[in-house]
Amino acid sequence: MVCVHHAQLLTFPAHRNKQGQTRLSSYYEWMDMQERVALESEIIRKCLSRSELQCSFLEYRGFKVIYRRYASLFFIVGTKADIDVRALDGSGSIAENYENELGLLEFIHSLVETMDRWAGSICELDIMYQLEQVHFLLDEMVMNGYIVETNKSNILRPIDLIDRESKKTEGMFR
Amino acid sequence: MSGMHLSREFFELIKSIGESKSKQEEDRIIINEIAVLKKKLENDKPGSITTSIPGAPGGGVATGGNTLTTNKKKAREFLVRVLYVEMLGHDGSFGYIKAVELAASQSIVHKRTGYMVCACCLSPDHPFRFMLVNQMQRDLVSSNLLESCGALIAVTNLITPDLVGTVSSQVIGLLDHSAETVRKKAIVALHRLHQLSPDAVPQQEVIEKTRKMLCDRDPAVMGSTLNVIEALARVNVQPFKDLVPSLISILKQICERRLPSEYDYHRIPAPWMQMKIVRILSVIGKNDIQASEGMYEILGDCLRKAEEAGINASNAIVYECIRCITVIYPNPVLLDAAGNSISRFLSSRSQNLRYLGVTGLASIVERHPKYAADHQLAVIECLEDKDDTLLRKTLDLLYRMTNPVNVEFITDRLLHFLRGSTDPYLKKDLTGKICTIAERYAPNNGWYVRTVTELFKIAGDLVDPAVATNLMSLVAEGTGNEDADDEADMLLRKQAVELYVTLLASAPNRMNRVLVETLAWVLGEYGYLSSIMPLDAIIDGMCKLLQSGNTAKLGGGAPSTRRLILSAIMKMVSQYGNCPAAAAKVIDDYTKSSDPDAQKRCLEFQTLLTTAPHMLGEVFPVDASLEDVDVDENLSFLNGLVSEAISSGARPYQRPEDDDDDDMYVGGSLSSETASTFKVTPYEKPTTTYGQGRMAGMGSTNMGPGGNANVTLPPGSGGTSQAAVTPSLPITPAQPQLMMRNVANVWGKQQPPPPPASTPAPVSTPASSGYRGFGAPAPSSYGGFGASSPVPAPAAPVKTAEQLEKERLAAALFGGISTTSQPPPPPPAAVTPQILTAASITPAATPVVAAPISAPAPPVTAPAPAAAAPAPEIDLLDMGSWGADPGPVATAAPSTLDMLAPTPLIQETVAAPPPAAPPAPPAPVPAPASVDPFADAGLLDGYTESAPLPSFGSSDTLGSAKFEFGGVAVAPLVITTPQFGERWGRCPATHPVNVPSSSSASTLSKFMALCERAGLHKVEEIPATNEGIAACMADGGSAVALVHGKVSPLPGGQQSRVDITVKSTDAQLGGTLAMYLQNMIR
Repeated sequence: MVCVHHAQLLTFPAHRNKQGQTRLSSYYEWMDMQERVALESEIIRKCLSRSELQCSFLEYRGFKVIYRRYASLFFIVGTKADIDVRALDGSGSIAENYENELGLLEFIHSLVETMDRWAGSICELDIMYQLEQVHFLLDEMVMNGYIVETNKSNILRPIDLIDRESKKTEGMFR
Repeated sequence: MSGMHLSREFFELIKSIGESKSKQEEDRIIINEIAVLKKKLENDKPGSITTSIPGAPGGGVATGGNTLTTNKKKAREFLVRVLYVEMLGHDGSFGYIKAVELAASQSIVHKRTGYMVCACCLSPDHPFRFMLVNQMQRDLVSSNLLESCGALIAVTNLITPDLVGTVSSQVIGLLDHSAETVRKKAIVALHRLHQLSPDAVPQQEVIEKTRKMLCDRDPAVMGSTLNVIEALARVNVQPFKDLVPSLISILKQICERRLPSEYDYHRIPAPWMQMKIVRILSVIGKNDIQASEGMYEILGDCLRKAEEAGINASNAIVYECIRCITVIYPNPVLLDAAGNSISRFLSSRSQNLRYLGVTGLASIVERHPKYAADHQLAVIECLEDKDDTLLRKTLDLLYRMTNPVNVEFITDRLLHFLRGSTDPYLKKDLTGKICTIAERYAPNNGWYVRTVTELFKIAGDLVDPAVATNLMSLVAEGTGNEDADDEADMLLRKQAVELYVTLLASAPNRMNRVLVETLAWVLGEYGYLSSIMPLDAIIDGMCKLLQSGNTAKLGGGAPSTRRLILSAIMKMVSQYGNCPAAAAKVIDDYTKSSDPDAQKRCLEFQTLLTTAPHMLGEVFPVDASLEDVDVDENLSFLNGLVSEAISSGARPYQRPEDDDDDDMYVGGSLSSETASTFKVTPYEKPTTTYGQGRMAGMGSTNMGPGGNANVTLPPGSGGTSQAAVTPSLPITPAQPQLMMRNVANVWGKQQPPPPPASTPAPVSTPASSGYRGFGAPAPSSYGGFGASSPVPAPAAPVKTAEQLEKERLAAALFGGISTTSQPPPPPPAAVTPQILTAASITPAATPVVAAPISAPAPPVTAPAPAAAAPAPEIDLLDMGSWGADPGPVATAAPSTLDMLAPTPLIQETVAAPPPAAPPAPPAPVPAPASVDPFADAGLLDGYTESAPLPSFGSSDTLGSAKFEFGGVAVAPLVITTPQFGERWGRCPATHPVNVPSSSSASTLSKFMALCERAGLHKVEEIPATNEGIAACMADGGSAVALVHGKVSPLPGGQQSRVDITVKSTDAQLGGTLAMYLQNMIR
């Protein structure tokens, strides 16, 4: 799960399997671990309760939640309106969250495609065994809660470089 | 892959987590894992490093000689395991120090892992964040670009506001790095630093850098810069206004596939960049005609290209374009294109697209209600959808399309949904929305009271306390109209009382605090009006409420709530003239209350009841909550007593020197004598606590000196009733003046759209003028004007249309929304008989319907009740119900127009068309006479100013007065004077008209009224120079006509010379309009 502070895209791409266990989460606005766990389990419960015939968006506790399911894995993005903008626009009551739901839904797919290109066909265990690398990949795509890169070659180039270097150093330090 | 070089332990851990079936099992695994990890760390203590030479003892489970410190790979694995511990909800803080250590590693993968774990786990106030700064500084300037990137990501995630200065210069340096991957991260990191500390990284600098980065040679850098631009522009758009051409050029290049194909996503070129740019354009184009006009073309292109592709990514772009088009200065062609896309979304089978359709529609209807009418059934279907997300968005749409006709239906729906929802955020949001539309569009006061009470019942804990105050003020003040409304006000109070009596009798145990308090106040003040339950029974009910053992539930047993109930009981006892046993017992009980305030009240009341029951009426005056309370600050009523005491030898009062409390109140001579020793100026009296202080201390201060009940009473007389409200609702102003201002807010005077009556009123009367607009329905609804016809309130459309289920819903929902953006042009002949009857309702009834409908509707689209809608039967329902009103049927259609909203509101105009006898000017064309009431009433100007068009547009009978171009009536062009000026110069066609002497437009206001009557929007009226300007558009906005008029009164005062200049984009339009105006004015 992600989040950003002032920026209004605050996403949490959380990978969760069908039992609702979190496989990866990334926040772009600080939230206590306890809160995260509670929020994640509530949101995944909501997602699990929805059928294929319902839309991929929901609102929960002021979050705009966008989710997409791949077999047993749910990819979830949560966004919240920008606090600064809310204060600015003066109207107060309704905080506009300008995120484009469908755009984020497609972003999830772009993320999955990128992971596929990186590790062949990605599966739950791939993510679990290479948690840190998946984080690196996500860091290339999302910074401060913004989508900074969707060009797969640009994303994977540094990841491959890191990988290559780590193999070198591992040889040295074994 | 490096990830495959796993230790057996790690492999087993992941496997068992992956296979665990329940949260409990997972927790057991993690708790076990924590123990293992701690053990590892233990073995890694500095002391053990020396012993961990191969072969030495104490290696424990893990290492066989390698410790975390010496084997970085093991350390990395250790950290990933800590990350799992944290991710699954346990405390992994024991391992954080390893993450900090690892961030200093030579190897990039270890370093990144260290930073990443820190970013995930370290809270913003964690001291370890500080420990990382040095490392980040070094990495930022590293020659290895991977290290720079890692550091930039770490800066974004880990720097805290106080540390911004330590890295900002390095980050700025990286903006010029040779690698795109570094530059694109650097600009985001810099923005982050600015967000954290605007002082250390000033806005000006970020803006400057951002503008430069937008022009970077690498598209990736440009793409990431767009994020920063949007965020900055939302805070301050000015510095980015001039970027429109650059942004348009970038978007154009993207649309034309000039970017490398690697940026494509499913063959759509860089969709997220497109969305971002369109979104930035919407921020810049908002409220800016010039900027908007520049982007029309590219938006059209972008939308068209995206429409062609027809996949999700392109639909996301379409959606972004729709939102942009509805936000920027409107362009009819683009709006229609957006409307078409919305239709496509709404009719899609994909639930996601329907969602976008509904939200898109919500964004368009607020300013362009006509688009809603095309989708009536689709919206109703969404309302019945099982998908609660979609339903929720649909409710949001309903909220935005609320108008005076459909407000009851929509409020019902929202209340219904609110009842079933549990998400506190949603409930709060819905509650606010319901309050807003109820206040803005309430068809009458009775409805408002019922609706808000219902809202209190459902979600009283979430309602803004001001709403309760407003409600009580409304009940107390009624319409706020001095004349002829007493009966209506009384009726309103009676209705409110009976509503609350019913509540009291039915479910006293389930009421929340705000409801109980409102109930107590209303019944306390007006309980005697109840006809369904005798007063003593109400008193009993209140006593039970207080005793029911449920007091804990009454707002958490707040003492203020109990005090309010006690006060209500006392007031009712006073009204009843006798103290029922139950009340006496309750009051006696509370004389022993631990709440001193309640105890005081009860003791005073008991004393009063036993010693001076005849004074009750003065202490608790009936219906006096609005009366001014005269506080005799000098206690002059004691003068007699004092002089008597002095004459009998008592010592005159000496002011104690340190008593500064009374300095404010004491006359000059006394205070200057005494106060000089200590201070020169008196303390300011805290004004906020004044009201509360007075009534909380009411008994003590006054009773003190007098020592007898009679003396206590007068100041309390009015204060008591107010006191009842104040303690629980501290915002209730003690002074009636303030209260009135609150009331004005009920009707949303400051909110858009403004209520019709914007007569410049003295400060003290905004309440009454605010009421006039919407309050108007009340009098006639309740027969205030002698028209004793049944209430022809807009409720009727809902009720009468019960035949076809969905169409009925649609009718209720879409009432007041016309299908065209233009005022309905049909001449009377073309109108069906029903409408004719409807249009010619009795004058008294007309305002009821017309005023609320026409007043707050958006100016461009007159809420046409008429035949212009696509489903005539639906719209006829609205009209039919009005037509069914048994009032006398007037024959002269045009006359009803004169009866529109202002008539019942303004005393003078009422005189012109007497309400009892419908006037019948026979002329089908508006005769000058029928215009007069408008022109003569000075107040009218104010009225038409804020609701220029609808007051005319809503009546079909005036169709004949409308200026038509190409067979279609022109639509008012709502622009401001500066916009008018700007367009004036650009209009090629000029048509001057001179009318040497005119009586129909003998004054400026008459001339403006005529213009509006012709369907023009009054832009400004300048009485100082006797000039006025107006504007209209035809053909959906493609042709525009601007009118400037100068009225020069001729000697004698009856007639004036009128000089008109018509400028137009279309010579034909200008010419015909000029001729038309000339004819009308002669």
